[in-house]
Amino acid sequence: MNKLTLRLKEQPTVPLEAEVLSPDTFAELSNEEIRSKTVYHGKRQCRLDDFFDVDGERSDDVEIHGDLHRVRWIGREMSRGRITVHGSVGMHLGAYMKGGEIEVHGNASDWIGAEMRNGLIRVHGNGGGQIGAGYRGSLKGMRGGTIIVDGSAGLEVGMRMRRGMIVLGGPAKDFTGLQMKGGTIVLLAGAEIRTGAWMMRGTIISLKPIQMMPTFSYACRYTPDVLRVYSRRLKELGVSLPYAPQDGAYKLYSGDASVPGKGEILVWDALSA
Amino acid sequence: MYWGGNPAECHPRHFTKYALMPKSKFLPRGRKDRTAVLVDIRPTKSAKAADIFLQVRPGKDFELITILRALIKDQKVSEEAVAETGITLEQCTDLIERMKKAKFGCVFFGMGLSMTRGKHMNSAALLTLAAEMNAFTKFVAMPMRGHGNVTGADVIMRWQTGYPFGITFNRGYPRYNPGEFSTVDVLVRGDADAAFIIGADPGATMPQPAIDHLARIPTIVLDPHVTHTSNLAKVHITTAPAGIAAPGTAYRMDEIPLPLKPALKSPYPTDEEVVRRIKQAIVKKPFWMPEGAQMTAAQV
Amino acid sequence: MLRITGGKVYDPANGIDGEVRDLFVSEGKFVASAEEGRTIDATGMIVFPGGVDVHTHVAGGAINFARAMTPEDHRRTQAFIRSQSRRSGIGGMAPTTFATGYLYAGMGWTTVNEAAVPVLSARHTHEELSDIPIVDKSTLTLMANNEIMLDLMEKGEYERAKNVVAWYIWAAKSYGVKAVNPGGVAAWKWGKDAKQLTSPIEGFTRLTPGDIISQLARICHELGLPHPLHLHCNNLGAPGNISTTLDTLNHLDGHRAHIAHSQYHAYGGDDWDEMRSETAQLAEYFNTHPNVTTDAGAVLFGDTVTITADGPWQHLLYKLTGRKWGNLDVENETGCGIVPYTYRPSNLVNAIQWSVGLELLLLIKNPWQVFLSTDHPNGGCFWRYPEIIQLLMCADFRTECLKKLPDKIKERITLPELTREYTLYEIATSMSAGPARALGLHHKGNLGLGCDADIVIYEEDKDVARMFGHPRYVIKGGEVVIEEGDIRATPDGHEYISRPHYAPDTDEFLRPLFEDCYTMQFENYPVEMERIEKPAIHDCVPNS
Repeated sequence: MNKLTLRLKEQPTVPLEAEVLSPDTFAELSNEEIRSKTVYHGKRQCRLDDFFDVDGERSDDVEIHGDLHRVRWIGREMSRGRITVHGSVGMHLGAYMKGGEIEVHGNASDWIGAEMRNGLIRVHGNGGGQIGAGYRGSLKGMRGGTIIVDGSAGLEVGMRMRRGMIVLGGPAKDFTGLQMKGGTIVLLAGAEIRTGAWMMRGTIISLKPIQMMPTFSYACRYTPDVLRVYSRRLKELGVSLPYAPQDGAYKLYSGDASVPGKGEILVWDALSA
Repeated sequence: MYWGGNPAECHPRHFTKYALMPKSKFLPRGRKDRTAVLVDIRPTKSAKAADIFLQVRPGKDFELITILRALIKDQKVSEEAVAETGITLEQCTDLIERMKKAKFGCVFFGMGLSMTRGKHMNSAALLTLAAEMNAFTKFVAMPMRGHGNVTGADVIMRWQTGYPFGITFNRGYPRYNPGEFSTVDVLVRGDADAAFIIGADPGATMPQPAIDHLARIPTIVLDPHVTHTSNLAKVHITTAPAGIAAPGTAYRMDEIPLPLKPALKSPYPTDEEVVRRIKQAIVKKPFWMPEGAQMTAAQV
Repeated sequence: MLRITGGKVYDPANGIDGEVRDLFVSEGKFVASAEEGRTIDATGMIVFPGGVDVHTHVAGGAINFARAMTPEDHRRTQAFIRSQSRRSGIGGMAPTTFATGYLYAGMGWTTVNEAAVPVLSARHTHEELSDIPIVDKSTLTLMANNEIMLDLMEKGEYERAKNVVAWYIWAAKSYGVKAVNPGGVAAWKWGKDAKQLTSPIEGFTRLTPGDIISQLARICHELGLPHPLHLHCNNLGAPGNISTTLDTLNHLDGHRAHIAHSQYHAYGGDDWDEMRSETAQLAEYFNTHPNVTTDAGAVLFGDTVTITADGPWQHLLYKLTGRKWGNLDVENETGCGIVPYTYRPSNLVNAIQWSVGLELLLLIKNPWQVFLSTDHPNGGCFWRYPEIIQLLMCADFRTECLKKLPDKIKERITLPELTREYTLYEIATSMSAGPARALGLHHKGNLGLGCDADIVIYEEDKDVARMFGHPRYVIKGGEVVIEEGDIRATPDGHEYISRPHYAPDTDEFLRPLFEDCYTMQFENYPVEMERIEKPAIHDCVPNS
């Protein structure tokens, strides 16, 4: 299928809510129909082509160019196809996503993949807070799929997530895995404080030492078999996760006792050469 | 229990009128029939009023409350881990013992808890602890709000929009996302192209990037006084001070509505009158939503 | 002026059962004839008096707390988008005020009774009610756990207690008296409940829940309130509570009363595993005691948020669900708990509850005694009433629904044996004429001359839920407010207020007690009449 290319031509002065930027919307539409789709510039209803040049039609392979840091809800609820962004994006990238792939060559903001069910989101720059989280009041965060952010992340990553995987290349801020109910968070560069606070279930893997909540207790030093599986899967995504016994092992902490929960935090403990 | 608040200096009537001193049917000896605990990062003037003062290490409130949540459920927490909070395990155990023995426990928390690192999660921790304490005895928790009638704003926003704050109307109906739509975040990111400020002085309290943005955009201030915000605003409209020269309702921090009975007359209009007149002028302009437009409802 | 011609009129208050009649309206009331004005041709359509909700929770501290607790529901539910004539809002489990008015009017309900208001937050409730457009409103004051009144009853000072109740009603600018879990909410301040009608209440030495019920029922009668005691019985929701409910009814000593949401009070069995329906017993009581009315408090499957002054029950529900819980203690007057809840057909207890609500509506023979309600939002949201109407009118549909319930339910319920189907006349009685009469609002739910011209007109439709969910016209006080699914006008409704007589020295009697145990100024406590939008005051004539 041919590519659909959008280029931001007019920088929004206030946030632009553009959930129409999704393969599901564009797959069956002509160029003219795509141009006339509604986006919300503050309270003003505008046409997509007030802000974007649109090249191509009827495609679920979407490429977007420009500084989109004010453009929110890209790929919301998308279930198929692909979005590639060359530039930074605003909040709620891929929120409620059901399938397909999003790749951002730039930074993204808060709520990446919030409450997503499936699909893959990859951000090569930094992410914001509440990645894969549940929106305020929701009982569950992401329920499936994978989010990889090469750079750093903000607060409450994976808050109340139920299933799926989040991988962070850079450091995360406080409350990573807050009230986690399942799924896996991989921290290649550690996190600030309160990691795994109020965890019920699920796994947080950190390759760097992290400050542990007082309500987590050290269980043992070992490498669970599942690490081998994760490692193989992550390798396909260009992330390497150590598991070989000659390199070291993981220190397992369990908690959070305040819930009381059965969450696990695994911290890589390398054998010194 | 007071946590991260200093009522002796910030809410001077709280001890005498509401929480510590009053004599009542079941507490005939007033203060003597109560146990008061203060948790704070330093011994404030309120510490003198407390039977027990627990000095928590700055930034360890969330950890301490989470430890208490584990301990009330008979979960083990290591002595060393507890000591990191500045409070010993023994002190925690003693506190829990007293909490469970209380007939009616009440926790008031201040901005020392809710506005320090962890913010809303610190509040959530204390509220959860109070909820869980009900497995043993009656326990409640309540925030000690700072500014005048901030509770009233919360209450009314809730009945009109379903949400207390952090609301946008840009899609024609209320949506909520603190952090995205709360005033300070909107201003810091420069997401607003105009500001209308009633009875608040963000120019004195908000972070510099927010203040800078207020100065950049057309800002309108309604206030009885010329404030820091007025000085950077395009328009300041002097209004009658609520409660002194303007009638209305104020909601106490426990959401009890109190009538405001003005004692003085003001030459200035009330906030309500100014807003009404602005609204009348706006109604004359073309309606902002296109005729027959389908404003699709967007989640969040 | 307005003429409605050719419609099939159902007006139970005047014994009119589907006769083709013309209605004439002038200045908001029904008149004998009208020459000018608009004519609505209702030929082939069905004409009802506007619906009256005898028991709902739409305004005040508790529902407003529930709104704050459930942003996840607001996000997924119906959004009310602002237009030039309509304010924005949110529907769902706990709708916002403007949306509440639009939703009620949108399905033809024109009067609502907010059934639980503490005096301390009455000012707040009235402020909210003035933001609920279109419908007329009334409120009931929570009395059965008010410590000042309980102290008087404990001391045997009945006359004083009566004066104090009257004083509180007027202070709150309310319409009548609500009793919730008498004594149990007071006991909840100690973390306890009141489960036995004849045992002293925690914090008292002699006073029992039974005493409170007997005396409040008598007080409501003697004060001449238009609506009798509105009673939420002790032991709500608990298996085996049928004995408490029947005991409560016996404590009325022959006085009139309205039993709220009786669905929650008609269970047998000793525990959750053994729970079963005991509607036959309760219905039998109503069938032999015409002085007592009730509303169903029916349960519909789906998400909702439960709100009740019954604090101990809500704590139990929080422990059962492990979800969110809000608790409010209202000084020495009452309290309330809030817990979001999902009723599931696969859950045996929920399935029994669903069945019990319908059984009561079908087993109580006289529709003037049992009214349509879900105890909004407790059993389900009020905007789902058309679903209940469908269940009442279509036995086949009930059978279909029963198939989806767990097999084990068969020996626990009687619904499968009930073949009764409501007629339109009975629906009109249960949703409008009956509750209006029980509330003492004789000019409501009545298409007779001089009554308020609140009318709902339906296009006949085999799909009952669709027909009742989407009326063709709704007329409130003679004004067309809904037409072809659109809101055409949003007039402000009236608020009904009772003024019962009390001894002139009651103020001075209460002042020292008040200053002793309240945290606000005595002068600031009563709600000022200027704060009520469009008050309609009922002067009570005392009965001896």
